[in-house]
Amino acid sequence: MANKALRFTSRAQRGSSKRYFVIDDPSWCAAALLLVLTLSSSAFFIDQTQLVYLCVVDGMLLLHGCYLRGKLMSLIKLFVVQLLVTCCLYLLMQQSDRMLEGVLAVCRLLLAAIPGWWLAMSCSPERIAEVLNWVMPVKWAFVVAASISLLPFFSREIQEIYAIQRMRGANISAKALRNPRHWPELVHCILVPLLIQLLKLAKQMANAAKLRQFDQRQKTTFWRY
Amino acid sequence: MGTSALVELKQVGLAYSSRQDAVLDGVDLALRAGECHLITGATGSGKSTLLGIIAGVVSRPITGELYTQAVVGMVMQDPQVQILRQTVGAEIAFVLENMAVEPSKMLVRVQHALRAVGLWVSLETPVDSLSLGQKYRLMLAAQLVCEPDVLLLDEPWAQLDDLGVVELSAVLKSLLARGIAIVIVEHQPQAFADFYSHCWHLHQGQLSKQASLFAVSQPKRYRPVQCAKQRQLLIEAPAFSLQFTDGNCLFKCAGLQLFSGELVTLVGSNGAGKSTLLKTLLGAQADIVQVPIKVLGKRPKLGGFGQQLMMLFQRPSRQLFETTVLQELCFSLKRFNLPLERATSMLQRLGLSHLSEHSPHTLSYGQQHLIAIASLLCLQPKILLLDDPFAGLDDDYCQQVVALLNEEQQRGCGIVLASHRALPQLQVDRQWQIQAQYLSGGQLEVDQVG
Amino acid sequence: MFDKKLQLQDALFIGFCATLLVALKSMLRLKLGLTGHSMFLMCFFYLVCYGGVGRCGAITLCGVLAGVVAMILGVGKGGPLILAKFALPAVAMDITLMLLPSVMPLLWRFIALALAATLAWALKGFVGDLLLGLSVEVSLLKGAKSLFFGSLFAIAAALLVPSVLQRLKSHDLLHKDEV
Repeated sequence: MANKALRFTSRAQRGSSKRYFVIDDPSWCAAALLLVLTLSSSAFFIDQTQLVYLCVVDGMLLLHGCYLRGKLMSLIKLFVVQLLVTCCLYLLMQQSDRMLEGVLAVCRLLLAAIPGWWLAMSCSPERIAEVLNWVMPVKWAFVVAASISLLPFFSREIQEIYAIQRMRGANISAKALRNPRHWPELVHCILVPLLIQLLKLAKQMANAAKLRQFDQRQKTTFWRY
Repeated sequence: MGTSALVELKQVGLAYSSRQDAVLDGVDLALRAGECHLITGATGSGKSTLLGIIAGVVSRPITGELYTQAVVGMVMQDPQVQILRQTVGAEIAFVLENMAVEPSKMLVRVQHALRAVGLWVSLETPVDSLSLGQKYRLMLAAQLVCEPDVLLLDEPWAQLDDLGVVELSAVLKSLLARGIAIVIVEHQPQAFADFYSHCWHLHQGQLSKQASLFAVSQPKRYRPVQCAKQRQLLIEAPAFSLQFTDGNCLFKCAGLQLFSGELVTLVGSNGAGKSTLLKTLLGAQADIVQVPIKVLGKRPKLGGFGQQLMMLFQRPSRQLFETTVLQELCFSLKRFNLPLERATSMLQRLGLSHLSEHSPHTLSYGQQHLIAIASLLCLQPKILLLDDPFAGLDDDYCQQVVALLNEEQQRGCGIVLASHRALPQLQVDRQWQIQAQYLSGGQLEVDQVG
Repeated sequence: MFDKKLQLQDALFIGFCATLLVALKSMLRLKLGLTGHSMFLMCFFYLVCYGGVGRCGAITLCGVLAGVVAMILGVGKGGPLILAKFALPAVAMDITLMLLPSVMPLLWRFIALALAATLAWALKGFVGDLLLGLSVEVSLLKGAKSLFFGSLFAIAAALLVPSVLQRLKSHDLLHKDEV
């Protein structure tokens, strides 16, 4: 799930077929967002006695997510890592008698994560963006849409600038980067040229938008076809 | 010509700072309905700035007078950075949304604009799936939808392959017939020679009228190459097909050979797989099925050839990041433990010594291009791969690049140069041509080897 | 209003930085998994944003946009709650920026901002842990661990940003004098 951004990127890059999302309607998507927000928040706030209801609802989302071919690995990893860390901390603080409350807290964390995981499986990114457009000012909605549509471009730029600088002898191979001494080289060779590109691109895109009358009137309309 | 001008510039001038010379100085220009003005000029001579002034997107104050009675549309150089939406329909409708046109009236106008540029695709088509030539025409449609009287085009030739230029020319002719005035700034005005009505040359901020196109830019034949054919095999591959891991095949090839001292051009239309092949030779293309290519006797691996294999990527200014030109050239020399004097002698060779302490990003486009090439050449590689090295360069800079390449070739460097059109002005040994998903000419004929 | 005065070019740059932050964070998460490493990327891009735009408020905008982009792309866990993860450190940085004296040297200003961001981040974790039902001692220990490692990464970013901005400035790409 954590890598939907990259899948989104590589899909757009390769022009392969569009992924199917079960929720592809903005109204349903808004409802899903509200549901996820409520469920995730309630994992933090509700009383222990009512936790079982949340477990049932999250369990259903988990099953639905699995049906949509969602991978459980990221959730399992989160649970195991958090459980290990928490148990170690309880042992360290000599509170092993209260270990159960630690386990319960990690379960609550998992319950907070499941709805977000399900959202990524079921809702199309385009529809989530559309829902957010309802509440965001036009200018910022444009900025978010433009930035996300440029993800394939960013990914290509990072790959190419990395290849160029590796070829030119920069110490930025995976092996070299195990030594923190080479980290500033990564920043200067990759991130600086990338930021230079972004600054130039922002200027060009702003000009392109201005040429098409963007941000010049109070009232705008929307393309609906 | 008695009709009143749609746009008129009188003694227009502009300077970026008081320290620099004026970019434009006393420019007079009048655009009337149905006229096509071609403006030529060297890289950095202010052509794009002139278009920006006419379109009203230059924020710096100008001197002189500018009269506009027209709706002006402009397509900038790179269509890629102008795409603001994800589908064809939404992209064209963007300007209508901003002009608060009723949604019910948008569809007809969008379809009309799409037809005017000869794009027969659905409004739902993702913009990513269009070819570069189609994207350029989409940008044109995105301007035509608000029915401009004047259309400004910034260097379309360099962006498009030959088919793209033919398609664009047909559209422009029909627009001229409808009474739209067009201004094209271009290094290669010959591409639009059959329908221009006025020709101008911009030099040192002054716009001067040219009687004919060919007085401006004579087709040049570069110095023939004296190639030292030592015949060391640098790149070799038996028959292979270049395909992505997802099964998408770019082209097939009967075999590939590159010898030392050879200059080979790799020609194919946009998207034919030229850049992918070059990156494969460098070992920088991860998502392709393994190919049996041997470069310098080894399988290509990024960073595995040291300074022996260098590639100039598209838009080479991307690789510049050091604070001065000299440091930029020294970067690789230091990493490969090579003598740093090569940097200063390379700058002398290019006549750019006076810029050694300047930031590379403050130089002109052509100078940045040369610095990027020089930073690779001072490593004296055995193989040099160049991806579209002449893009956006005027004749003077092209000549400088050709001179550099000729010197490298004589030193024994094998050069592969990718371009989306054949380069008649360049003396080459062979041409690798990608056509109909097949790369021909990859191997030397038996009699040529002898 | 700040939003009105902000040029589209600057708004786009903020959006690009936010998107890049989310994309790189999702990429590195798989490779590293070290506590607090996200503070490096967050501080780096927030400070670059401030340097590039040169105005108070830019960091908050970048944080909110990063949260929105992460929500859209489904990066990280927690759905809409991800917004708080990105926005809180950003708001803390902007508030600190308003409190800091304007004559403070750039490097120290950046370090102070990075520490403020880490504090907000660790505090958010601490409150979250308490709400989840962990004991105060364990929550404090977790918070202290986050604060320590987060600070290390954040300070590393703060130390790098001035040289990055210096390079951008030498290329004539920054025209904002406030920084």
